[in-house]
Amino acid sequence: MTVGADIKQCLATIKSIEAGLSSLAIHTNAEDEQRLYHRQMMVIEEIKQDLMKRIGEVEREEEQYKGF
Amino acid sequence: MPGWLEVVVRGVLFLFVLFLTTKILGKKQLSELSFFEYVSGITIGSIAAEVMMGLENNIWHGIIGVAIFAVLPFLVEILSLHSKTIRDVVEGKGTVLIKDGKILEDNLKKEKYTTDELLQLLRGRDVFKVDEVEYAVLEADGKLSVLLKKDNRPLTRKDLDLPSINEKEPHTIIMDGEIFDEKLASSGKSRGWLKMELAKQNVTIENVFLGQVDSSGQLTIDLYDDKIEVPKPQDKLLILANMKKCQADLELFALATESEQAKRLYAENAKRLQESMDVLSPHLKG
Repeated sequence: MTVGADIKQCLATIKSIEAGLSSLAIHTNAEDEQRLYHRQMMVIEEIKQDLMKRIGEVEREEEQYKGF
Repeated sequence: MPGWLEVVVRGVLFLFVLFLTTKILGKKQLSELSFFEYVSGITIGSIAAEVMMGLENNIWHGIIGVAIFAVLPFLVEILSLHSKTIRDVVEGKGTVLIKDGKILEDNLKKEKYTTDELLQLLRGRDVFKVDEVEYAVLEADGKLSVLLKKDNRPLTRKDLDLPSINEKEPHTIIMDGEIFDEKLASSGKSRGWLKMELAKQNVTIENVFLGQVDSSGQLTIDLYDDKIEVPKPQDKLLILANMKKCQADLELFALATESEQAKRLYAENAKRLQESMDVLSPHLKG
């Protein structure tokens, strides 16, 4: 597998973590726990943005890895 | 009226009277915590039995007897609610049997407890070595309350410096294959959600004997058909595992890349993910 594909796989996992935390935040009853999941979801969201930026760079540098 | 019929009538009547009395006296009567409750419990029972079987006794005398033993303790209880002095006399006070890890022989003698009986009571509280006890009180109802020395107490989250987690009580939302809408509402869930969760676990509602939902919204069920293996909810563990995988991936990328800027980006995000994992793991593991 190429570097680009590796990063994209990692991005997919990050997205699944974000979705999982979001669903936990919705379904939990305890308010402080809700807040905690939400805050960590935001952190994951930032990581996701960084990774997407990096994927853009990799694709620009190495045209052959382009596409999803 | 033939004798057997009278026994039936009296039996039903007294069962009703006893039921009413205990309802009025409340849960406290059943706990038999104080002297009054203990004595009145026994006496009411024997009056009822005596009048029911001894047909020569007047039935009204029996009911009056029961009423006295119901009303007097009731009045005393109301009085003792308001006055500590009355409470101490009526309900009695606890006696300290072990203090600072030492047995108080005088108090033991005063309560007429032998060493064997003390040991028996301690064993009842899972204590086999007197040395483990810091403080023990013989309560008014004859039970022994034990405070263990700090070293011998079970380990808690606080001892381990783990972050505090506030867990709410679970709600039982399915019993005998029936959905309890009231409980479902108080746990903040809907029938639609329940349907989805059951579909996820691949079971029908008719097959569920008991279903509980915990405060984090996880549904655990027990089926009528015990041959079917119900998967344990693993959403949280899966998230944690994914986080670990991603964190390792990011570190790997940081090592593999040649661009300084990208290296920094990966390393920084790996660190952020690690921090997030540290915060979440006590909650996700539970």
